[in-house]
Amino acid sequence: MPSNVESMQLDKYRVLVVDDDRDMVTLLCTWLAEAGFYVDSAPSGADALQRIDITRPNLVVTDLVMRDMDGMTLLTEIHRNNPLMPVIMLSGQAQVRDAVKAMHLGISEFLIKPLERAELLDQICKTLRIASGAETTQGSGFGKGLIYRSPKMAEVIDQARLVADTDITIFINGSTGTGKEVLAKAIHEASPRRDKPFIGVNCAAIPEQLLESELFGHEKGSFTGAATRHEGLFQAGNGGTLFLDEVGDMPLGLQVKLLRVLQDFEVRPIGSTRSVAVNVRIISATNNNLEEAVKEGRFREDLYYRLHVVPLYLPALAERREDIRVLLDYFLERLAKRQRLKAKRFAPEALEYLTAAPWPGNVRQLINVVELCATLTKGDIIPLGMAQKALRDQPAELKSLRDAKHAFERNYLLSVLRITSGQVASAARIAGRNRTEFYKLLKQHRIDPAEFRKGSVEEPGDVEEESTSDDASDETSEGAN
Amino acid sequence: MERANAGDRHRIIARIDADLIHLVPGYIENRRKDVLAILGALGRGDMECVWIIGHSMKGSGGGYGFHTVSEVGAALEQAAEVSDGDAVTAALARLQDYLARVEVVCEPE
Repeated sequence: MPSNVESMQLDKYRVLVVDDDRDMVTLLCTWLAEAGFYVDSAPSGADALQRIDITRPNLVVTDLVMRDMDGMTLLTEIHRNNPLMPVIMLSGQAQVRDAVKAMHLGISEFLIKPLERAELLDQICKTLRIASGAETTQGSGFGKGLIYRSPKMAEVIDQARLVADTDITIFINGSTGTGKEVLAKAIHEASPRRDKPFIGVNCAAIPEQLLESELFGHEKGSFTGAATRHEGLFQAGNGGTLFLDEVGDMPLGLQVKLLRVLQDFEVRPIGSTRSVAVNVRIISATNNNLEEAVKEGRFREDLYYRLHVVPLYLPALAERREDIRVLLDYFLERLAKRQRLKAKRFAPEALEYLTAAPWPGNVRQLINVVELCATLTKGDIIPLGMAQKALRDQPAELKSLRDAKHAFERNYLLSVLRITSGQVASAARIAGRNRTEFYKLLKQHRIDPAEFRKGSVEEPGDVEEESTSDDASDETSEGAN
Repeated sequence: MERANAGDRHRIIARIDADLIHLVPGYIENRRKDVLAILGALGRGDMECVWIIGHSMKGSGGGYGFHTVSEVGAALEQAAEVSDGDAVTAALARLQDYLARVEVVCEPE
């Protein structure tokens, strides 16, 4: 038995055989059933399309020459609603032009009759392995969170893998939601720094003065509200990796300071006269055209070359549509596992719609759509209408003003709490709010200031209840978590 | 594999896979029906019908283990394409002869 067949559990696959020659259908069904497949058959293309809607086969084997609807037409019709369904075509005539045309129409394999049993089984198994994602790369060693099967992504991952084990500065360019931070983390995890911190900071989400303190630290009393010393992310991440997201939005004043760190490997906190040696690998990212920013004087050319040592380009989802199906399946499975429920599936027409969608928000938008669809669909199959609604409701690229303000406010609160080491009175003073208002804001964003008093630089977990009393001391709010 | 028995010119042995053996009577019967259908098509001058039948025979015969059926099917297909009635008749005679002489032996798995 061929190796492709031996290594597969065939009884989980349903194969539809389509041919108007009854003897041929009987022969193929016998071969496939004997091998272990679930087999279904249809005597015509029209019947096959009906069977596909009902039985949802994993693969279709069809003859090319049939009386009512030929194999080419059937292939086109199948892919109209099921764009990724693998179809193997059989032909009694070794016509190169037919094979070429079928390949252009998206055929998985073209086999010439009379057939050898072993050849057919081998090709079916090979096709199923590819279609089911068995040949999808899902971070076996490098990048567990990276799901792809497209050559474009494979190329990026190969490049990232090559440089992961070094200290080379990496620059990731890609649209919003393409997974820049996921890739940065994968590089960190594959590097000798993996046991040290990976710290991500969004340079666009934090005001300049806070970002400076956040990155480089400050001494106690160095500015209004600086009630305690703050070591900054460069020191907190010593030995590890610092991921500077949206680095293109970093203010020019800070760019000079960052350049110095990259040149001298030391930071000088605000208000300090002393520099501290740091050993941090920098991975930076942007969704902007940084070369243009350099030309327009918004980004320092010297810093650009310091950061741009190894550039990696993460393609948008629309540039790697072959990944959409595996990503949808992966996130449906992941959600089902998290909820301990049976995984739902997208109806073929919903899959086709989602595969062809523009996805301006990329993988992040796709995750939102999957979660919305799976949550709102009562049955096992997510219909087209739900996918359309979810995609309409998740424009993703542009947040609403309310959401954008909410995200900014949350980032701001996290920053001032980091800088003040969770001292609410000081944080409220920096924010220009009284403590009651400040506590209300923290409660709205489910942020626990106590988390910042433990020296943790990671984003704190949610808090269930929080004191909002004006008189509430820092100690009483700590007890609320 | 098929071969004529050296000791008996009337027998052709066809070795058929064990899991297909139960399908053989039906398959042979359908080829006998094909003979009649081709004769009818020849009478009408319907070469398209001959081509379709020949095409089917070519595709299925070898898979069952009846390689001669595939060869005859290919001959019928070619003959129909050029509307060569004599070639169709010759191929048909070969099929009739084969169906009369073939004997099936079960090929163990």
